[in-house]
Amino acid sequence: MTSKDKDRTPHSSSASPKGEGSESDVHVLGDEIRPGPAVSSLATKAAGVAVLGLGASVVLGMLENDGFRRFSYAYLTAYMWGLAIGLGALFWVTLQHLVNAKWSIVLRRVGEILAGTAPVLGVLALPIVIPAFLGHDILYPWANHDRVHADHLLHHKAPYLNPTFFLIRFVVYFAFFTLLGRFFLKQSLAQDKSGGVEIAKRMQRVAGPAMILFGLALTFCAIDLLMSLEPSWFSTIFGVYYFASCVLAANSCLALAAMWLHKQGRLTRSITVEHLHDLGKMMFAFTVFWAYIGFSQFMLIWYANVPEETFWYKERFAGDWATVSTALLVLHFVVPFFGMLSRHVKRHKKALAFWAFWSLAVVYLDMYWLVMPAFGAEGLPFGPIEIGALVGIAGAVMAAAAFGARKVKNLIPVKDPRLPASLAFENI
Amino acid sequence: MSDEHKKESAAAEKKAPLHGLLAEYETPWQLLEAAKKVRDAKYERWDTFTPFPIHGIERAMGIRMTALPWFVLAAGLTGLTTAILLQWWTNAVDYPWIVSGKPFWSIAANVPIMFELTVLFSGITTLVGMLMLNGLPLPSHPLDLKERFARATNDRFFLLIQASDPKFDEVRTRALLDETRPVVLDEVLEDRVTSDRMPRGIIYAIIVLATAGAIPLALAAKARFTKSRDTRLHIIQDMDAQPKYKAQRQNPVFADLRAHRPDVEGTVAVGELRDDDHFYTGKVNGDYARTFPSQVALTDATMERGRERFGIYCAPCHGLAGDGDGMIAKRAEYLASTGRGRGMGWVPPTNLNQDYLRQQPVGQLFESITNGVRNMPAYGPQISTEDRWAIVMYLRALQHKSAAK
Amino acid sequence: MDAPRHDNPFALAPRGDNPFAKITDNIARIAEAERPPRAWYIAFGVSLALLTLFLGSLGYVAWVGIGAWGNMMPVAWAFPIVNFVFWIGIGHAGTLISAILFLLRQNWRTAINRFAEAMTIFAVVCAAIFPGVHIGRPWLPYYMVPIPNQMEMWPQFRSPLEWDIFAVSTYGTISILFWYMGMIPDFATFRDRSKTTIRRLAYGLLAMGWRGSSRQWHRYERAYLLLAALATPLVLSVHSVVSFDFATAQLPGWHTTIFPPYFVAGAIFGGFAMVVTLAVPARQLFGLKRIITLDHLELMNKVLIATGLLVGYAYGMEFFIAWYSGSMYEGFTFVNRLFGPYAWAYWTMIFCNVLAPQLHWFKKIRRNPWATLAIGVVINVGMWFERFVIICTSLARDFLPSSWHYYVPTALDYMTLGGSFGLFFTLFLLFCRYLPMVAMAEVKAFHPSVLAHAHASGHAAHSHGEIRN
Repeated sequence: MTSKDKDRTPHSSSASPKGEGSESDVHVLGDEIRPGPAVSSLATKAAGVAVLGLGASVVLGMLENDGFRRFSYAYLTAYMWGLAIGLGALFWVTLQHLVNAKWSIVLRRVGEILAGTAPVLGVLALPIVIPAFLGHDILYPWANHDRVHADHLLHHKAPYLNPTFFLIRFVVYFAFFTLLGRFFLKQSLAQDKSGGVEIAKRMQRVAGPAMILFGLALTFCAIDLLMSLEPSWFSTIFGVYYFASCVLAANSCLALAAMWLHKQGRLTRSITVEHLHDLGKMMFAFTVFWAYIGFSQFMLIWYANVPEETFWYKERFAGDWATVSTALLVLHFVVPFFGMLSRHVKRHKKALAFWAFWSLAVVYLDMYWLVMPAFGAEGLPFGPIEIGALVGIAGAVMAAAAFGARKVKNLIPVKDPRLPASLAFENI
Repeated sequence: MSDEHKKESAAAEKKAPLHGLLAEYETPWQLLEAAKKVRDAKYERWDTFTPFPIHGIERAMGIRMTALPWFVLAAGLTGLTTAILLQWWTNAVDYPWIVSGKPFWSIAANVPIMFELTVLFSGITTLVGMLMLNGLPLPSHPLDLKERFARATNDRFFLLIQASDPKFDEVRTRALLDETRPVVLDEVLEDRVTSDRMPRGIIYAIIVLATAGAIPLALAAKARFTKSRDTRLHIIQDMDAQPKYKAQRQNPVFADLRAHRPDVEGTVAVGELRDDDHFYTGKVNGDYARTFPSQVALTDATMERGRERFGIYCAPCHGLAGDGDGMIAKRAEYLASTGRGRGMGWVPPTNLNQDYLRQQPVGQLFESITNGVRNMPAYGPQISTEDRWAIVMYLRALQHKSAAK
Repeated sequence: MDAPRHDNPFALAPRGDNPFAKITDNIARIAEAERPPRAWYIAFGVSLALLTLFLGSLGYVAWVGIGAWGNMMPVAWAFPIVNFVFWIGIGHAGTLISAILFLLRQNWRTAINRFAEAMTIFAVVCAAIFPGVHIGRPWLPYYMVPIPNQMEMWPQFRSPLEWDIFAVSTYGTISILFWYMGMIPDFATFRDRSKTTIRRLAYGLLAMGWRGSSRQWHRYERAYLLLAALATPLVLSVHSVVSFDFATAQLPGWHTTIFPPYFVAGAIFGGFAMVVTLAVPARQLFGLKRIITLDHLELMNKVLIATGLLVGYAYGMEFFIAWYSGSMYEGFTFVNRLFGPYAWAYWTMIFCNVLAPQLHWFKKIRRNPWATLAIGVVINVGMWFERFVIICTSLARDFLPSSWHYYVPTALDYMTLGGSFGLFFTLFLLFCRYLPMVAMAEVKAFHPSVLAHAHASGHAAHSHGEIRN
């Protein structure tokens, strides 16, 4: 029901006529759509936070005197969380093009900027990838040549799980993520200048095949970086499981970014409560989807009770980890399910912001639950090292996005032919 | 305008009071504008009728959000609770039953049905709640008498202000509606034609159906509370009646009427010739044999076989060491000590490490196993001859061991 | 075939002086025509013959027992379960189109949702019959329902087969509710157009006194949204639960965690294939080309590519993890699929499900109704084979080589499968004949004239024609 009824006054904007911006270059609805100084200052501040956080984490990790083992696990946890945002945003942008979405045009540039963090995320992965490539089994047991020889299963998997092929795959994934993000951003910026349907169509054409490759890259990325931490465990749904977190994280981030821009007086009229409502719906939907995928994986392994698979869950139900597992179920599904159920919550900025932060927090909890049991420590290792790594990665992603935003002229694709529809968008 | 009325008598028409004023529009947006005017004029008892939902009409008419979602939420939670209680009560309390090593109450395995019942309850409530809040089913309405109004479900848009509205005034309301420039502005009279009572045919049909429907219930009720000497109705035979004769039953084909045929005299079935007393009965010339028969190899393999068979057939009562303290004996003692074993007539199993048993010839032990002793049943039919000898051999070893202590 | 046929009463242009009346006429006349086109009679005759065959083969099996089928240990779950999963999969598209596409604001669904929903219900009916017969004693299915009984026994709720009972019956119920609720306004239209008392009474009872009041529309729309929101996870759950029947087992090829989403994607894939298979002849036969346009076919074909690729992804993941797991049983199962005795079925499946839909990357093929129909049929064949491959190849080669067995269906198996199409098409043809085949009210609500005007109304005219779909 996309028909528009002008009798409804949009929540925040004045009564100015909608849709006239399709012709104008700078002012859409008389809205401020340039990034402005706030973005620049965010970029420098976030970069500072990133350096401080990661620096603190490294220093503390060094003091642990375990050859950076604890730090590596803490860093991987935080990194997979940051990667979820970047890849989720890339998926989001590709999806909007693929299905020719109209409602989301005003948010698309923000999504493109978030998706443009892929190269930075590639660089941030180096502390994980390089030790593995050099044969250190600090994170991945299969990287160690001797262990592979001693273990029949690792030996069997060696054609796939070996340092060289791992590095090759890593390069391929991130080259693809970077190129895809670049492509969409560049085309979108070109559209700002020339306008026209042709560019939109070109992006749509690319989105189809890109989505196939993206699905494969994301899956194997998750298998390589997360599942192979415990290389004897396997689950066919694992890629989908990580994907669910990606989409949840990206939509939460988009909502937060939009609200932050509103706070800076940007896009206040273009991004309306209707768009936020839709992002809220996606957050809700993927909270449920995550639970569906998580339950499918858990229940099937629990039910069949095959030792090759159950040990992974057994680790996560032993000792303090049982608390984390329960917390994950309650905090990642039960609480946000009821919290985000109502449409009023999704249309209330503060409430939505709360649940967006909440979602990002539980995605981190999920990553922690995926990664940390492999560390094998007594109790739950959580302390300044983990916090430092998380703050550092969050700062780095934010800085990357802000630097990206500083380079663009407009924060919405001003000449996209579907923009008026997006501006006038209303929910049922 | 009376030409538009149905074929009812003119007299009835005149008597009928005014139900309201009906305005007809060609397009939805004309209706929207008109609705806003009526809303702003603060009418309360009025409505619009359209062939499809008009976007924005709620606002134009000032309709408040329905409470339906709350009913649905309540129904969903009821469904969830029902599912949890149902599965907990049936599988964990009333009829606990071990299946594939799962706990009686397996929450993970209960999730699918929790979900299904939540959705089922909510879904039914959504439809039923929508109908009830809408006052449906509603068989008749004064508007039905307007032939034009049939187009409300096709291509026209109507607005009705009821005469019962406190602000209704025939002249002023008509003027207000006139302002909105309807295609037709018409009076709607109260329905004095349609009977308030249900048509006879429908009532009879309901009575007949209800009676017919009650017959099986009545039969079932009767069957529950009466006694009968007849055998029960056996519609589906399953495997209850099979065309065969069972042992110990009569069979008219044979003169002796025995269904179970005895062996033909003077014959031995293949593999059942037992002409070695020592091996098969444990006796030599009528006395219990003191040696093992030649068919039993006195080897470690036989001993191992005996240990295994002893563990399966003897240890449950006599215990792994033969001390008469097997699991069954222990449980019986426990039940007896708690008083729950009364009336069970339990005779404790024999301690096999007693001197008189140590001195028994192997042939006698063999015979005891074969034919049973006191309460102990015969194991001859269950355990092969070789295995029985192997058990005897193992038992002897146990007795030697216990004597050496 | 495109030329109007003389015996087709729907070949003429629809009557009416405005677009809404035209829509009503275009759809209502199908159910009002005195005689449907000759092709309908032919199709109905064939369907009835198949239905007779179906009832006959079911009756025979009930009489002599399921030994009459080819099922033989270790392949105990053969055709009956393959057919069950196949039909329940077909039954996914309807609710998907009505519910999920509704939530995603895909308004083009209005042209096809009604008959897709009908198709869903008939497919669920077909599906529900198979487990009922497969239990061997079709007179005892109430054992699976938790009703207090003289045996003082309860069903075993930890069993996926018990979940299936609940999932399929809930799905059937909600689908019928959704379908019926959508038809209430259209029944009212039929009632108001009816010329005979019987029609007026029948449609009037079904319409429950709907008169199109806006106060009622408001609650109706809210209820529709709620049902859509409830049906969306329900669609996902049904085939997930069906997949649990297999995936909770330890049998290689059955026990894999991706089964739930993989089955759902496959079900949508197969269901959409059935929708296009039915939509192409239906629009031809009943003069609905203005309602179900080539654009609609193209969009459905795009959905076919997407879901086909998702299914392909799952095939690929299963293979990769079978190797990656290092489990010799898993590895063997998949090699056996490729080169084993049922390799022909496996390669048929790959061709039909993974390769054939790739033709839809070409716009010309996507927009060609006959190519659409052909590919739709091919996909349906492929989806049937997918279930056959999963069920039979894994069972026929279980852990114990001495019990390996090559399952061969009997003539009765084929008759039951073929006959189930008779039930499906009989119901579907009756639906086309007597019920509103397209959601008239919804099509009207999304008519371009309504949208264009609503868009331009209110503030000073800014006409952007870009909201189309």
